[in-house]
Amino acid sequence: MEETAIVKAEGLRKTFTLSEKQRKIEKTSQKLKVAVDGLSFSAYRGEIYGLLGPNGAGKTTTLRILSTLIRPDAGDAFVGGCSVLKEGEKVRDKIGFMTSELKLEGFFTPSYLFDFFGAMHGVDKAMLAERKEELFARFGIDRFAEVKVSDLSTGMLQKVSLVVAIVHDPEVVIFDEPTNGLDVLTAKVVTDFLLELKAMGKSILLSTHIFSLVEKLCDRVGIIIDGRMAAEGTLEELCEGKSIEDKFFEIYEGIKGETV
Amino acid sequence: MKLKALIQKEFRRFFGDPKLIITLILPGVLIYLIYSLMGGLIWDRPQTHDYNVLVLGESAAVEALFETTFGEELTLTHTDDKDAALEEVKQGNVTALISFSEDFDNAVASYDPSSGLPAPQVEIFYRSADDTSSAFYTAATSLLSAYEGSISNAFDVNLGDAQYDFSSTSEVIMSVLGGLLPFLVVTLIFSSCMSITLESVAGEKERGTLATILVTSVRRSDIALGKVIPLSCIAAIGALSSFLGIALSMPQLMGMELGGVFVEYAFGDYLLLLGLIVSIVPLIVSAMTVISTYAKSVKEASSYSGVIMIVVMVLSLVSTFVSGIGDWVCCIPVLGTVVAIQRILEDGAALVMGLISIAVNLAFTALFIFLTAKMLSSERIMFGK
Ligand SMILES: Nc1ncnc2c1ncn2[C@@H]1O[C@H](COP(=O)(O)OP(=O)(O)OP(=O)(O)O)[C@@H](O)[C@H]1O
Ligand SMILES: [Mg+2]
Repeated sequence: MEETAIVKAEGLRKTFTLSEKQRKIEKTSQKLKVAVDGLSFSAYRGEIYGLLGPNGAGKTTTLRILSTLIRPDAGDAFVGGCSVLKEGEKVRDKIGFMTSELKLEGFFTPSYLFDFFGAMHGVDKAMLAERKEELFARFGIDRFAEVKVSDLSTGMLQKVSLVVAIVHDPEVVIFDEPTNGLDVLTAKVVTDFLLELKAMGKSILLSTHIFSLVEKLCDRVGIIIDGRMAAEGTLEELCEGKSIEDKFFEIYEGIKGETV
Repeated sequence: MKLKALIQKEFRRFFGDPKLIITLILPGVLIYLIYSLMGGLIWDRPQTHDYNVLVLGESAAVEALFETTFGEELTLTHTDDKDAALEEVKQGNVTALISFSEDFDNAVASYDPSSGLPAPQVEIFYRSADDTSSAFYTAATSLLSAYEGSISNAFDVNLGDAQYDFSSTSEVIMSVLGGLLPFLVVTLIFSSCMSITLESVAGEKERGTLATILVTSVRRSDIALGKVIPLSCIAAIGALSSFLGIALSMPQLMGMELGGVFVEYAFGDYLLLLGLIVSIVPLIVSAMTVISTYAKSVKEASSYSGVIMIVVMVLSLVSTFVSGIGDWVCCIPVLGTVVAIQRILEDGAALVMGLISIAVNLAFTALFIFLTAKMLSSERIMFGK
């Protein structure tokens, strides 16, 4: 495969200083926590790449580095060829970042928020109107375009958040725990949306700890354990005929030297 | 372009919510109502009085003048014991005590102003806090000076060294309230800035809507400006409402006509006052923005700003009552403004000080905006655990 990577991480490392309180919660006496430890991987155009790992593996930290919200202590990452360290603003225009922590102001309508975030990314007005019409129709938001966000159903709210995150037509969509905390219906809204994005030719990078989600969506998987890349490859390469679940625990035991 | 959208969003958020508008205008309305009511209570005095006045010494001429003027309302009782009489005035048992110097009528008749000898005296002891007593005092002194005029300055009224007034006057209370004006203005501006900035900045951070803006390519300085500019405009409306509330109720509070207070100052003074009041709004809004950006929740932000508010209140209260503060205070934000407003109200000459205070306010505003932008880029502050 001679494709160039659309997202490329090179030796990312991130250390957090733990506060007194955090040390108690994590039951450790160490002041420093290495959340991501020399992580490298590549995701390719038009594919869905899944970072699979248990709680605390460093998934969120990695995705935040890629979306320039936090800076790595060492290493660098490139999105569409732009460095997250040196070209933060450019990178932010190339990605749509979604997590459950990013919220929309309940007071406004989907239509207004779409325009607002379009303006935040510097999308021009004509283009914005065109995209709004297309995306709202495609995801069935048009009927709710003028309803306050706080009055929308959870599923519709989720759709609006997703559409608003790609208002600027980003090449790459980064999604931390896409289905976490969602009921089955809303979760399906999200997975369908991601498949739709893939069909539109977008590249997607997501993190999860749910095996079925990886099996359903991902073309390529990276297994993160303790901030390190434990195994990487296409789903078929990696699984060698086993289920992803079995393969994961095999790798996990290999690293931790213990059975779960 | 991005900044414009940020500013518009803030206005839209605010003016689309009637609740927020009401919380903004309400303080002004409340102040007006409370102050007017207070003023009404203090100044609405009954029309007729019962003057029960003690007289020490005697003057047939003056007593006759009083009796014909006050008629039924006045009862004069002669006494010899000055100390006991003074005690009665203090206790409020009688309206007032009039004390004539010895052989008053004759002394007046034969007094030669060019002799250099002390003139015969009338002293009136009264209590100004007591409406009846102070009304009598006002009426009596004007009668006496009219009488004095008619017989060519032959005696003095209340010119001795004694303390004639046995209570603090209403005027004293009023002048204190008047002196409090700058303090009140600053406090009110502070509270209106505080509530909207906390709601908008700390609220957005807590709700996670600020993070959504942070993942876009908008510059951090634009986000900071996009908060401080519209919030300052909105807070200025709240401040104006409070200011109008005070200004409109002051005359009633001080028992004056509306025109009386305002004509005294020159146009330039008004501009300077306005400049001071307007420049303090972005200062406080930007300071609150820094705090709100730093804090993890609205609750945390409001406890920080509560502390700052108390410090500002105490300092400006102190500067209101401690006279002789050096001009250097104008370099301290907020405090300098309080003192400058006060000086303008007192004697209208504080141009340099006022301008420096405005410049200091604006400089600190710029500093706070810069700091907010820095904090918005700080991962520890925005995304720390
Ligand atoms: N801001 C921070 N300050 C201190 N420690 C942090 C911070 N963010 C993350 N950590 C720590 O770094 C480690 C990795 O966290 P991260 O959130 O990246 O894990 P994750 O793979 O997303 O896990 P989860 O499935 O729980 O979301 C954890 O031990 C976490 O406690
Ligand atoms: Mg996570």
